Amino acid sequence: MSERGVGEGLADLGPARAGELLRLLRTTTPVLTSGLTLTALLALVAGAGRIVTPLTVQYALDHGLLHPHPGTADVVLRAVGIGAAGTVLAALASWWLNRRIFRRTETALAQLRADGVARIHEIQFERFGRLPSADLVSRLTSDLDAVTTFVQNGGVLLLVNAAQMVIAALLITAYSWQLALPALAAATLLLVVMRRIQAVVGRRFTVVRERVSAMQSVIGEAVTGIGVVRSTGTERRSRAAMDAAVEETAAAQRHTLVPLHTNTALGEVAISFITAFIVVAGVRWSTDHARWEPALHLSAGELVAMLLLVTFFVRPLQQLVQMLGEVQNAVAGWRRAMEVLATPSGVVAGPAARELPPGPIAVDLHDVSVAYGDNPPALRDLTIGIDPGEHVAVVGETGSGKSTFARLLTRQLAARQGRVLLGGVPIGQVSDLSFQRRVAIVPQDPFLFDASIADNILAGVRGDARALDEIVDSLGLRAWIETLADGLDTRVGVRGARLSAGERQLVALARTALVDPDLLVLDEATSGVDPATDVRVQHALGALTVGRTTVSIAHRMVTAEHADRILVFDHGQVVQNGPHGELVARPGRYAELHTVWVGHTLAGGPVPSPRDESAPRGCDERRGPTSTVRNDRSTP
Amino acid sequence: MSDLPAGALRVRPGEATVWPGLRTMVDGSLAHPAPALVATVTGIVNGITMIFGAAAIGWSTDHLIVPALAGNHVGRATWWIAAGAILGVSTLRWLTIMVRGIATGLVQHGSQADARRAVVHRYLDLSLAWHRRHPPGQLLSTAVADVDALWLPMIFFYFALGMATMLIVAIIQMFLHATVLGLIGLGLVAAVFGLNLLYQRLLGPRARAAQESRGRFGALALESIEGGQVVRTLGLADRERGRVGAAARGLRDANVSMGVVSSAFDPVIELLPTAAVLSVFAVGARQVESGDMSVGVLVEVVYLLLTISIPLNVISRFLGMMPVSTAGRTRIAAVLDSAETTSYGDRALAEDAGGGAVAVAVGTAVAGNAGPAGLGLRARGVGLVIGGTRLLAGADLEIRPGEIVALVGATGSGKSTLVDLLGRQTDPSDGVVEVGGVPAPELARGQLAAHLGIVSQTPWLFSGSVRENLQLDGHPREHRAYTDAELWSALGAAGADEVVRALPDGLDTRVGERGARLSGGQRQRLCLARALVREPGALLLDDATSALDPAVERDVLAALARLRGRVSVLIVGGRPSSVLVADRVAFLRAGRIAAVGTHAELLAAEPDYRRILRAYGHQGAGDE
Ligand SMILES: Nc1ncnc2c1ncn2[C@@H]1O[C@H](COP(=O)(O)OP(=O)(O)O)[C@@H](O)[C@H]1O
Ligand SMILES: Nc1ncnc2c1ncn2[C@@H]1O[C@H](COP(=O)(O)OP(=O)(O)O)[C@@H](O)[C@H]1O
Ligand SMILES: [Mg+2]
Ligand SMILES: [Mg+2]
Repeated sequence: MSERGVGEGLADLGPARAGELLRLLRTTTPVLTSGLTLTALLALVAGAGRIVTPLTVQYALDHGLLHPHPGTADVVLRAVGIGAAGTVLAALASWWLNRRIFRRTETALAQLRADGVARIHEIQFERFGRLPSADLVSRLTSDLDAVTTFVQNGGVLLLVNAAQMVIAALLITAYSWQLALPALAAATLLLVVMRRIQAVVGRRFTVVRERVSAMQSVIGEAVTGIGVVRSTGTERRSRAAMDAAVEETAAAQRHTLVPLHTNTALGEVAISFITAFIVVAGVRWSTDHARWEPALHLSAGELVAMLLLVTFFVRPLQQLVQMLGEVQNAVAGWRRAMEVLATPSGVVAGPAARELPPGPIAVDLHDVSVAYGDNPPALRDLTIGIDPGEHVAVVGETGSGKSTFARLLTRQLAARQGRVLLGGVPIGQVSDLSFQRRVAIVPQDPFLFDASIADNILAGVRGDARALDEIVDSLGLRAWIETLADGLDTRVGVRGARLSAGERQLVALARTALVDPDLLVLDEATSGVDPATDVRVQHALGALTVGRTTVSIAHRMVTAEHADRILVFDHGQVVQNGPHGELVARPGRYAELHTVWVGHTLAGGPVPSPRDESAPRGCDERRGPTSTVRNDRSTP
Repeated sequence: MSDLPAGALRVRPGEATVWPGLRTMVDGSLAHPAPALVATVTGIVNGITMIFGAAAIGWSTDHLIVPALAGNHVGRATWWIAAGAILGVSTLRWLTIMVRGIATGLVQHGSQADARRAVVHRYLDLSLAWHRRHPPGQLLSTAVADVDALWLPMIFFYFALGMATMLIVAIIQMFLHATVLGLIGLGLVAAVFGLNLLYQRLLGPRARAAQESRGRFGALALESIEGGQVVRTLGLADRERGRVGAAARGLRDANVSMGVVSSAFDPVIELLPTAAVLSVFAVGARQVESGDMSVGVLVEVVYLLLTISIPLNVISRFLGMMPVSTAGRTRIAAVLDSAETTSYGDRALAEDAGGGAVAVAVGTAVAGNAGPAGLGLRARGVGLVIGGTRLLAGADLEIRPGEIVALVGATGSGKSTLVDLLGRQTDPSDGVVEVGGVPAPELARGQLAAHLGIVSQTPWLFSGSVRENLQLDGHPREHRAYTDAELWSALGAAGADEVVRALPDGLDTRVGERGARLSGGQRQRLCLARALVREPGALLLDDATSALDPAVERDVLAALARLRGRVSVLIVGGRPSSVLVADRVAFLRAGRIAAVGTHAELLAAEPDYRRILRAYGHQGAGDE
C-alpha cells in the first residue's frame, strides 16, 4: 500500500523554471508585476541616499578639512547641507517604496488566499479527497505568512541593498578602477563561496522543514486523539513520541548552525582584507614610493571615502547572501500557494458540459471498477441500473464497498474502468451547475459549519424562516429542537462538536432535504440516531421524496424493507438484486442478513447465539461472482 | 532531557512587551548556561571589536593616509601596524561572530524545544473538557508557531547585548574626544530608542490585530476546506468565496496597517546615523579649523557613527520582534497557566477487581469461571453543566461487577455525556462517580485506564499500523507487549479478524490518518478490539456497534455476552439487539435517568422506551 503523497494531488511547481513562475505571477496577481520601473527608481534613490555620507566626507576632507583655512567651515557646511537634502530625499523615497511594496504584496496575497480557497473547491473531488486539509490550509496561511514576514522584515531592505551595492560599486570604480578591480574580484569570490555554503544551509533547512512537518503530525495526532490517549492511559507513549519529534526538530535546527554562521563571518573576513588592501595599496600607489602604472592620484579624502564605500558595498552583499535563505523560504511558501492555483479546476462547464435532464435522475453503471490507489478494486465489474424516481436500498457487510458506491454516484471518486451515466449523461460530462444541489449525499459523519443549527440547515438555500420551520416539522425534529435551550439558534461548535453524533446527522438531513435534490444518496445517514427518531425521519424523507431517486445505504434492514429494490453488496460486487419480498423468500445473503436482523429487532426474541467459529460467515452464500445485475425494469 | 527543570520556562504574560520579553530571554539563557555564557562573552567581545575597528581606521588616517599622501615619509613599521591592526581586529570580529551565532542557536533551539515540550506535556495533562473547547488547529499552532515566535528575538539577543556594550563604550569615547561629539552620539541613541518605543506603542496593537486576523482567516479556511464536500454538494462555492475573501481582505488590511507604521519608521531609524554624521561634520569642521581636533579623530568618529548604525539596527530589530514574541507568549501562557487539569488521588484498584486475573482470551468459549467478577461502576447524583446548559441532572446508576447494563435514550438525551462521566473523560459538576467503590478522583493516575475500556461513538485510530494501534503501551497491568495470539483473539471477539486478514499486510497494514483507509465499520471494530485486548474490568461501549452490519453485530454482542460475570459492561444503543444481552436497562430522557429495570419492566412502564425499542419491530412481534 503506497502512501498517497500530496504531490499526486496538486500541481507540482518544484521543477518549474523561473520564466514559468513569472508568467504565473503575472497572470494570478498582476498587481505585483505592474509599475516595476517606479519601484526600481525608488529603490535607487533610497539606496543612493545611504551613500551620501562617504561622498560628503570626501568632499569635506579634500576641500577644507585637510588644509584648514578660514572659510573651511562654510565649505563643510555647504557639503553638509547638500548631504542633508539628499538624506531627506532618500528617506521619502524609502517611505514611499515601503508603502508601495507592502500594499501591493498584501493585495496580491489576499487575492491568492481567496482564489486559493475558491480553487480548492473547484479541484476535481477525487483529487481533493487525497489532499490532507491541514496541508491545504497551511499553503494559504503559514506559507503565505512567510511571504509577509519576509517582505516586512527585509524584502524591501533587499531591494534597497541591491541598489546601494550597485551604486557603491560604481563609485569605487569611478574613484579608482585599479583598486576597484581586485576589490570587486574579492567580492565576487566571496559571493561564490557564500552561495556554495548557502546551498548547504538550504539543504539543511529543508530537513528542518520536514522535521517540523513530522512534528506537527505527531502533535496533531495527540491532540485530536486525546480522548483515546486518555482512556487507554497511553500518555507516556504519546509523550515519548512528541518528545522525540521535538528533539529531532531541534537537532535538525542545530545542524544548520555551523554553515549558517560561517557564512555570516565570511563577509567580515572579506571586508577586512579589502580595507587593508585599499589602505596599503592605495596609499603606496598614490605616492612616489611605487612607480606602478597607470598611476593613481587619489586624494586622502577619496581614499577615506573608498574605505567607507567598501563597507557600503560588502555589507549589503553579505546581507543579501544571508537573506537568500529567507528568500528561498518566501519563494517556497509562495510557490506552495501557487501550486494550489496551478492545479487545474475540475469544474465541468462550458460547451462540452451537459445538463442533467429535469426530474428524478436515472443511474446506469456498465462494467464499472473502482480502486483506491494500488489496492485491489473496491468495486468490481459492476453493472447496475436504477430508474428515475426509484428508491434503492444498498445492504452488505462493512467493507463490501457500499460507501465507495455512494462516492462513485456523487462524483467523489471516478471509475477506473467502465461507464457511469446519470440521466443518460456520462457522469464526468455533467456540468457542475447542473450537478450541484440535484445530486446530494448525506454521509455517516456529516460536516457542520461553526454556526447556529438554523444557519446550518439554511446553508444551501436563501435564508427563509418559514422553510426552516416547515422542514423541521416535516422531519419531526420539533420535539428534539425544543429540548435545546437555544432551540434552532443553538451554536453547534467547530465541526458541530457541541452536538451529539446523532444530532449532527439530523441537522445534515434537514439541510439536504431542504435543498430537495433529484438524486439523494444516504450513506448510513442515521446510524447515530435512536431507532424511533430513525424510523420517523426515514418515513418523513420517504414522503418528502416522491419523484426523486433515492439510494439509501443502511445496515438497518428496516430501511431496506421500505425500498422499491435492494442491492446486496459483497466484496465489491452485487450478489443479489430485487425487492424485499422476493429476496427474503430466497435463500441467500439477504435472507441471512434479514433473519439476523429480525432476531435483533424482535425485542424479546432469542438471545443471540455465539457464532460457529468453524464456518466463516457468508462463505456458503458466495456462489461465485454474480457480477451482472440488471434491473428488469430498466431496458437499454 | 526528559522533563523540564522547574522554573526553566516561566512564561510571563503582560501588556508591556519589552521587560517581560527581556526576562524571557534571560530565563532561556539561565536554562542553557553553557552556550548562553559563550554567546554573552563573544557578543560583548564582538561589540568591542567594532570600537577597535574604528580606532584602527582613525589611526591609519592620521599616521599613514594623510602624511603619506601629503608626500611625507612614513616608516615601515607604520605600514605594518596599520595593516596588522585592521586585519587583527577583523579576525577577532569574525571569530566572535561565528561562535556567537552558533552559541545563540544552541540557546534558541534548546529553549524552543523546552517550551514545546512544556506545552505538549500540558496538553496531555489538561482535561478533556478543556480540549473540547480548544480546536486542535489552535493547539497545534501554539505548540509550533507560537513557540517559534516566543523565542524569535533570541537570534538578536546576544548580538544586541554586545551592541549595547559597544554603544556605551563608543559614546564614552566620543565624549573623551569632545563633549559636543559625545552629546551628538547620545542624542542619536536617545532618538533611536525614543522612536523605537513609539514604534512599539504603535505596532503592538496592530501586531495583535494582525495575529487575530490571521487566526480568523486560518480557522475559516480550514472550515471551508474540511467542509468541501458540503460546499460542493450544496453549491456553496460562491458563499465560501465571499466569506473567505472577506477574511483575507481583513488580514490584508491588518498587515498593511502594520506595514504603514514600519514603512514610516524604518527609513527614519535607518537614516538617523547619517544625520548624526552630518552634524558631526558641521560641528567638527570648526574644531579642525581651529586645530582643536585632528582629521583622524573626525574620521574615527564618523566611522564610529556609521558603525553604530549597525547596533542600532540590531537593537531595533530585536525590539521590533518583541510584539510578535509577546503575542506568542500570551497564548503559551494561556495553555501553561490553565488550571483545568485532571487531578488524581493515590488510591489503587485491587488487582483482582480489575480483571487482571481474567487472563482469558475473550472470544473463546470459557468453561467455568473462577475468576474475579469485574469492576463495579456507580454514578451517584451525577450532573453536568457546560457553558450554562445543563446536560445531565441527578443521574444515579449502578453497574454491578460482572453485570451487563444497557443505556437507552433518544438522540441527544445525554447517553454519551453519561459515558464520559463514568469513564472520567470529564468530571461531573455535581455528584460523584465511583469505580470499584472508590470515588474516581481519588484513584491514582493510570488506574482507570488500566482497568476500564472505553469505545467512543466516533472511532478514532492512530495513523500507524493495525498492530501499533492495538499494542499501544502493551498490557496496562502486566507491563508487557501483547502476543500475536492475544491480538488475534481480541480481533476475533470484535469481529475484525477477517477484516485484518484481508488487509494487504495483515496486522502490519498502515491504516492512514485517523484510519481513513478503512471503512467506518472496519474502524469501529478495530477500536472495539483495542479495548478488548486490554482485558479491562469494565467496558463502556458508546454505540460501538452502530456501523456494523447485523451479522457482525450479532457476533460481537455474543462475544460480549460471554464476558458476563467477569467484566462489567455498559452498552449504549437503542436497538433491541444490545438491550437483549443486558441484565438491566437504564433509560435516559432529556438528561435524566427516567427508569432503571429489566427490559420487560421498562417496556411495560415507559411508553417512550417502548417507542424506541419497537421502532424496528415491524411484524408486530413483541416480547409478550
Ligand atoms: N480511502 C481509502 N483508501 C484505501 N482503501 C479504502 C479507502 N476507503 C475504503 N477503502 C477500502 O475499500 C473497501 C470498501 O470500503 P467502503 O466502501 O467504505 O465499505 P462499506 O461502506 O461497505 O463499509 C474496504 O476494504 C476499505 O478498506
Ligand atoms: N460541549 C457541549 N456543549 C454544549 N452542549 C453539548 C456539548 N456536548 C453535548 N451537548 C449537548 O448535550 C446533549 C447530550 O449530548 P450527548 O450526550 O452526546 O447525546 P447522546 O444521548 O445522543 O449521546 C445534546 O443535546 C448535545 O447537544
Ligand atoms: Mg460505509
Ligand atoms: Mg451519543
